[in-house]
Amino acid sequence: MRARLLHEFLPAGPDTKDPILEFSDVHLSFAGVKAIDGVSLSVHARQVFAIIGPNGAGKTSIFNCISGVYLPEQGSIRFLGRDLLGRKPNQVADLGVARTFQNIELFPQMTVLDNLMLGRHRHVQYGSVAAMLRIGKAAREEERNREVVEGIIEFLEIQQFRKAYVAMLPYGLQKRIELGRALAMEPVLLMLDEPVAGMNLEETEDMARFITDIRRELGIGIVLVEHDMRLVMDLADAVLAIDFGKPIALGTPAEIQSHPDVIRAYLGEDHATAGGATP
Amino acid sequence: MTATITPSGLVGTETPAAVLRRWAETRPEAVALREKRRGIWREITWAEYWDRVEVFAHALMERGIDVGDRVAIHSENRPEWVFTDIGSIAARAACVGLYPTNPTSEVEYLLENSGAAILIVEDQEQADKVLAIPAERLPALRTIVYIERRGVDEYDDTRLVSWDEFMDGGRAHRAAFPDAVLRRMADATLDDLCYLVYTSGTTGPPKGSMLTVRNLQFAGEVLQSDQGIVSPPPNPDDLLVSYLPLCHIYEKLFTVVFGIWVGAQIHFGESIDTLVADMRDVNPTVVQGVPRIWERIHASILVRLSSASRLKRINAAVWMKAADRVAATLDRTGGRHTIVTRVLGAIGHLLLFRALKDRVGLRRCRYAVSAAAPIAPEILRFFMGIGVPLHEAYGMTENAGIATRNAPGRIKIGTVGEAYPDTEVVLAPGTNEILTRHGGVFAGYWEMPEATAAAIDAEGWLHTGDVGEWVGDSHIRIVDRIKDIIITAGGKNISPSEIENSLKTSPFVKEAVVIGDRRKYLSALIGIDFDVVSEWAQRRRLAHTTYRDLSEKPEVVALIQKVVDETNARFARVEQIKKFGLFTKELDHEDGELTATQKVKRSIIETRFADEIEALYR
Repeated sequence: MRARLLHEFLPAGPDTKDPILEFSDVHLSFAGVKAIDGVSLSVHARQVFAIIGPNGAGKTSIFNCISGVYLPEQGSIRFLGRDLLGRKPNQVADLGVARTFQNIELFPQMTVLDNLMLGRHRHVQYGSVAAMLRIGKAAREEERNREVVEGIIEFLEIQQFRKAYVAMLPYGLQKRIELGRALAMEPVLLMLDEPVAGMNLEETEDMARFITDIRRELGIGIVLVEHDMRLVMDLADAVLAIDFGKPIALGTPAEIQSHPDVIRAYLGEDHATAGGATP
Repeated sequence: MTATITPSGLVGTETPAAVLRRWAETRPEAVALREKRRGIWREITWAEYWDRVEVFAHALMERGIDVGDRVAIHSENRPEWVFTDIGSIAARAACVGLYPTNPTSEVEYLLENSGAAILIVEDQEQADKVLAIPAERLPALRTIVYIERRGVDEYDDTRLVSWDEFMDGGRAHRAAFPDAVLRRMADATLDDLCYLVYTSGTTGPPKGSMLTVRNLQFAGEVLQSDQGIVSPPPNPDDLLVSYLPLCHIYEKLFTVVFGIWVGAQIHFGESIDTLVADMRDVNPTVVQGVPRIWERIHASILVRLSSASRLKRINAAVWMKAADRVAATLDRTGGRHTIVTRVLGAIGHLLLFRALKDRVGLRRCRYAVSAAAPIAPEILRFFMGIGVPLHEAYGMTENAGIATRNAPGRIKIGTVGEAYPDTEVVLAPGTNEILTRHGGVFAGYWEMPEATAAAIDAEGWLHTGDVGEWVGDSHIRIVDRIKDIIITAGGKNISPSEIENSLKTSPFVKEAVVIGDRRKYLSALIGIDFDVVSEWAQRRRLAHTTYRDLSEKPEVVALIQKVVDETNARFARVEQIKKFGLFTKELDHEDGELTATQKVKRSIIETRFADEIEALYR
């Protein structure tokens, strides 16, 4: 029996030429400090969109605005044609936006399997009585949820860690589990906050492979915040560089790599070229 | 297509495919294979097993595979492996297995040498290896079938076809020519080539050993008989886990030959990394392992015992003493139980052994084999003591894995046992080389007549290349590979592997190569076990970075010196190591220093590390 491809057990991304995420002229400030200063971007299905910039440039703030953690002062954020502003994080997640975090947000005292099953939370529709009795809809849904989760375990090659407690796993693996939990939510838009930070070469290559496979097999939109320039250059279809909350360049990886403002802001004055540098 | 073919009238020659087909007729609904996928063990019955094999054979015929053609497979163990294996035999083609770890250069050699027309690859990783070879260098290779579609679906090489499409082609062919495969099977002969099993080649390039229907039939009948390896004789309730590389004769012998002739149930786990969990799920009754596996299980049990609570540790100490006593008695009686061992074993089972065996999936194990390399007697005694009858057996690719085994009740620890029935095993006068003669002796090396002539003499004796000695009149002890025997400048014959194995009993030592042929004393190149030594260094707050850095630390050199001293104490003066050096890199299959089965290639080491070796004689 061969492994299932992602679209064989998860819904594929929307078949549309329109952007799935439109983030227009967004402004956000904390105590008078501009965190996001007029950033616009749009993400399409089947696209990997990378956001780069120095530490504190406002990359994670963009994620937090999309997922409903922060409310911008100005601008609009639309997802599949719906306004996201004012929605709570759980409501945004219910619409199909899943994310991973810079500092891994899993339940460390629970097993890998349970963490992934929690990712199915928004797909649980039965009540607590049915759940206790494991009857009817509860049994069917539970089966379907387990099937999806097992498909993800197979995809991420983590069969041997199914019953392991997350706290016991090395950092690189925890990041992989977090990606799995986000996938379990059946996202239309997947936001990855520094997915390879702190990883060794092999773990980084694995993660790059997973991202490539997700894009190819599911065709959902992926937004990536990442410092590893090699990864960005390899994977991204479009790159937005920001500095102090301001957009400084938007283009293909090649265009961004040679953009003088990007080299200055992001890589420092000393760098003549940006190729392969990892600050 | 007018003749109707009756099952009984058809199976003239008992090929593995024919035997499989008979199971499909007599026990169609019984489980033949189980495969764990997405957390669930999925069953394949004998009827389904035969169906896949027949469809595969039709698919081969549809693609023009003729009698004697070669079909290669590059995959981890999984049901598709055995469908390919037996499906090829059903189509009277020969199956060639590649090690999953074979790098591109070796893939090229094996495909080129065997002239395989079809290659089955497991996934993108293996597909990338063959696609990296320019197509014109593999003129015979027409079709590459990929099992896992991920990534490979996108490739546009015209030789590629997915497993599903390939099998659909087989189904269409079967619909059009329903008895084409059966007819071909009916014409099979005992001399049909079934396998080219490439021996890993510690010297020179790998050689393809030709194994025929006759060889497999002989091995199958020996293994299923009551004088075979398992006693009481094996039966269809026996459970096995297939996990050693299937391109090696050892796993082939159990997964395919034992599995098919006995009708046992074969299990394929989720991955090589889940072996322990898979073993626990299955609780196999017959377990085939190599020393490294048994050493790992042994170590994991010891670690568990030492980390248990105080009360449990006291209980364990008492019962491990009892286990020692059981093992000592069994060692004396040849493995036959006495009243004392039965009583101790039964109480120990309740109080400790069952729990230990449960953890590693050996609770139901009624026969366990160690082969392919020498194993330390302590490991055998440990398992025998807790009620796992682990014994050594011996065989090689060239005799279909059949030579000697320690039969229950007649074991001698430290030997590889006695010859199977209908199997002649002798020691050559003068050299003490082990010679075997029986129906399992192979048909020769593929397109290497000189090598074949050197291996099989005029009277049909296979020259194994191993030096042995008799223990009692019946049992054989392996001394070493004949070409590895060192003759020192003083004219002494020394077996390096005995010294190397002694060094390797230290957890700090991963590899050891003893040198000294035509030299005035012995020396050794030793490779540390990075993980173990690294942990040792951390406990001593010894900062280190790479393998090289760690190997060059004076503290580590001193540590290994102690290991060498301990080994030297066990050997005679001429067999003692006067100087040693540490490898500054980990030996690796991809770099050509190890064979696919992780054996050190002595000749490569001697040229690649020539400077280091010369330094030991200055």
